[in-house]
Amino acid sequence: MSSEASAQRSAPARKHKIKLFGREYHTNEVAVGILFIVPTLAFMVFTFILPVIDVVDLSFTNFNLKTRTMKYIQFENFKYLLGAEDFWKSLLNTVKYSVMKLTLDTSIALFLAVLLDKNIKGKKFFRSSFFAPVVVPMVASSLIWIWFYDPTVGPFNQILGWLGLPESQWLYHESTALWSILLFSLWKGVGYNIILFLSGLQNIPDSYTEAAKLDGASEWQLFWRVKFPLLRPITSFVIMMGIINSFKVFAEFNVMTPDGGPLGSTKLIVSYIYELAFTNGRMGRACACALMLFALIFVLTQFQSMVGAHKTVDID
Amino acid sequence: MSKTKKYRYNRHTATFVLLLILSLAMIFPFVWMILSSFKTAADVYQYPPRWIPSVWNWKNYGQVFQMIPFLRYYWNSIVTTVAETGLQIIISVLAAYSLVHLKWPGQNLVAALMRSSMFVPMVVTMIPMYLLCASLGLIDTYAGIILPQITTAFTTFLLMSYFASIPQDMIDAAKLDGCGPTGVMMRVVVPNTKGAIATATLFSFLGNWKSYTWPLIITSKTEYRTLPIGLKYLTQESSSEYQVMMAAAVMTILPVLIVFIFFEKQLVRSITLTGMKS
Amino acid sequence: MKLKKIPAILLAALMVVSLLGGCVSSYVDKTTEAPAPQTTEAPKPTEGTSAEPGTTEAPAPATEADISGTKLVVWYAVSGTSGELFNKLSENFAKETGVELELSYSGGSGDTATKVSAALLTHTQPDVALMYAGPLYTGGEGDFRIADLLKTTNDFDQADVFEGMMDYCDYMNEGYCAIPCGISTQVMYYNKDILKAAGVDMTNPPKTWAEFYDVLGKVMEKGNTSGAEGFKAFDTNDEAWLFKSMLMQNGCEIIENDNGEITPIFNNEKAVEVGEYWKSLVDAGYMSAAQHSNAEKAFLGGNLAFIAASSNRISRWTPDSVPFELGAIEMPYFTQPSLALGGNVLVIMTEDESKIQAAWKYVTYLTNAENNTEFALGTGYLPIHKSAMERKEVKDAIAGNEMYTVAFNQLSYTWAYTHFQEMGTMDTQIKSALGKLEKGRGTAKEVLDKAVKEVQDEINDK
Repeated sequence: MSSEASAQRSAPARKHKIKLFGREYHTNEVAVGILFIVPTLAFMVFTFILPVIDVVDLSFTNFNLKTRTMKYIQFENFKYLLGAEDFWKSLLNTVKYSVMKLTLDTSIALFLAVLLDKNIKGKKFFRSSFFAPVVVPMVASSLIWIWFYDPTVGPFNQILGWLGLPESQWLYHESTALWSILLFSLWKGVGYNIILFLSGLQNIPDSYTEAAKLDGASEWQLFWRVKFPLLRPITSFVIMMGIINSFKVFAEFNVMTPDGGPLGSTKLIVSYIYELAFTNGRMGRACACALMLFALIFVLTQFQSMVGAHKTVDID
Repeated sequence: MSKTKKYRYNRHTATFVLLLILSLAMIFPFVWMILSSFKTAADVYQYPPRWIPSVWNWKNYGQVFQMIPFLRYYWNSIVTTVAETGLQIIISVLAAYSLVHLKWPGQNLVAALMRSSMFVPMVVTMIPMYLLCASLGLIDTYAGIILPQITTAFTTFLLMSYFASIPQDMIDAAKLDGCGPTGVMMRVVVPNTKGAIATATLFSFLGNWKSYTWPLIITSKTEYRTLPIGLKYLTQESSSEYQVMMAAAVMTILPVLIVFIFFEKQLVRSITLTGMKS
Repeated sequence: MKLKKIPAILLAALMVVSLLGGCVSSYVDKTTEAPAPQTTEAPKPTEGTSAEPGTTEAPAPATEADISGTKLVVWYAVSGTSGELFNKLSENFAKETGVELELSYSGGSGDTATKVSAALLTHTQPDVALMYAGPLYTGGEGDFRIADLLKTTNDFDQADVFEGMMDYCDYMNEGYCAIPCGISTQVMYYNKDILKAAGVDMTNPPKTWAEFYDVLGKVMEKGNTSGAEGFKAFDTNDEAWLFKSMLMQNGCEIIENDNGEITPIFNNEKAVEVGEYWKSLVDAGYMSAAQHSNAEKAFLGGNLAFIAASSNRISRWTPDSVPFELGAIEMPYFTQPSLALGGNVLVIMTEDESKIQAAWKYVTYLTNAENNTEFALGTGYLPIHKSAMERKEVKDAIAGNEMYTVAFNQLSYTWAYTHFQEMGTMDTQIKSALGKLEKGRGTAKEVLDKAVKEVQDEINDK
């Protein structure tokens, strides 16, 4: 222990450097850096790399989970998917959902976080109440919401009636089902992002905001010119996770409309993968579909990080 | 002067009212759940819907204990969740620090791999993972529940975005004081991001607390079953056990809520870095 | 500069790891072209008998003493009250025989399928399972041990079991590979208060769908006493199940099995007639379009007069939990009464030949006339034995609850088609076809043609 400490203390003085792949690194940084990443890598091999190699392997087979037969069939699964109506439909539903979820979730969370960052009475109560839905188990909260959405006895239509608005079929009409689940998942998930944004906002040094206020900036300007740019790392994290999670969403849809909703309007890509794998037993196709989803998310996040990175440079 | 003060006061009031309405809307389903957990079966199906139970009956809570070994499941959920969360946080802190503040070859590749690990839905990796666990003899063990769920990508990226906000001057100053990489992490990075680590811990805890499918697939013995499986057992067959299920749900989330309310201050406030106010 | 290296590193890493990976392939016999010979799996009794004489062929002597102390792992996919009763009966068996049972709830039918599939790959499957579509996992890979046990032992009185129930335990008409337990049919429940308000005399209930249609008209006219806007006369919470029964009632088979060649045929004119009747219910406003998942709640909330739902609701919808008086009638029909069976079966999956006797004793214990009747009356699942009707408990139950009369009377015309791999796909397609039909996205002919084609494609594409 003490020898390690002394070695570290003397390290910057001696500046051990090595050249690797045409770049210069500090020896001890490389050693410690790699040592610290080893546990992550070890778990990643176990939880990601090995399973995914299997998934890739299986995507070229007709592996059937029920008969457990398997034969290599090259690109047949991919061809099948590209020609399958359900694949495109579920992809379209996923994109619709993701775009709305990402926009609404991020903007509402940011807006509420800014409000909650102020000196307001009952702040603590508000924060807790926005976060409360996050902790309710999905099975329980979905049961409650299915109840709320009941077209006849549900309180939502009752409320619409009071407001003089036309009643809605909620989960039971192809044009509203997806948005009903979106509303539910916003309720369930917005607290997550509020907490993230709040912690980011609290991270902003008071001196920055004070200085802007002295310059006579309005609240609006203060937010857009000072706070928002400083929130970039968190915003970009929230958006990245938003893309990943909304494209991979499954639980909400599976509990609210296990059959894929009216006219398949709530069948999302992961629900489709689940159906392929476990209803139809076609694991090979499911794996191929998962790889296509992988490619899609990869492209989107790559695009997002390019845009995000570009803007961060601006600020600094 | 007085005009602006009044204007500000009004706006604060408006904000307050807006937040109040929104947060009441947020907790409405929550209150509904608690109320429902006391209802009788007849109350549940009454039309128009009955909000307040006709009698406050505690039987539903008793029935939960009768139908499933609730305390055993609780214990298992706590054991596995705490182990998963603890491991996840330690590993993620090390990785996030290594990726943000240390320079070594191949770190971009590792970061890209970690990010990719979040792209694959669990639905397809479940079977390969099961086979892997079977070959390692992990079926029906705590390790079998815990180890495959140590996915650190989310927490690592979350921590990275906070670690990145630590000013380079602070790190350089520590280095000048003779701190090596480990020293910088322990003396500068971790103490200054306690709040962020608390947030990451909470998120990781919640993610693990609710996990259902994997524990169900990998365990068969009651002594390793967790709470979400118990909840599912209570609801699956028909909605007639609705109120019992609500009682179980209330008991499931109470500890999480209590932890949250206790941590809340730590979570949001302590993130303010005194050192950053330059 | 660095970018150039990345693919090389990635490739190297992939190569190293792929040596460790490829798990699934190593668990599966890739050379199998024909579906039949899954030789790596459980030794089939027909083959096993020659190698290990006496295990299955001569089970009779000394078995009673043998099974004590045997340990059986059991998975069950029923929960709630049914799960409790299943546990209780199992514990009784353990007490009586000394067999050690390790019971485990395996989740809903989807979860159980996943869990069993994974477990079969690694040979960690349970010895016995109570699950939906069990024959797919036994007969599906040539395991017809149950058929042999039925022949070689007399622990299970097959003659006393309804034929439809045994058909429900068959795979591709190749033989029995499961034992019925926790079986149900749909029952037409109704809200007596609504029917009374509508002035319909239910002592002489509608027999055919045409008569039923007229009753629905009266219900819509005068039955909606609460004035709720979403009030409907009829719905079902499992449309594919009801539709299949209706097809059979109109003389339309659902599949044809020609020596293992399954052909879906539910798009002939008989089927189209059923589809058109179905659509007329929606057009007349008697049934909601595509709200089947909400039907049960609507019914319990008093906003639906009739619901076709599983017989297992009999035990759940008690006077305590239902805020109105509940009644039931036999399911209406077109040309002949007919009802599709659904629910669970017991399968024996053990690979350990020494456990087969204990597993068989356990399965037959759970399904003997006495225990099966107790299970049926406690859960609303159906008794599998014809003789159950003569039992005192059943007579008492019928006297105490008229709905049992209906459910048990229906047993005489229940049926099941054989299990085949694409039956899950078929149900999905029927649901989707009905959804389109109800929403007016095609005529009955069009949507059924499409569904049949999809199922056929799935069958052809092995």
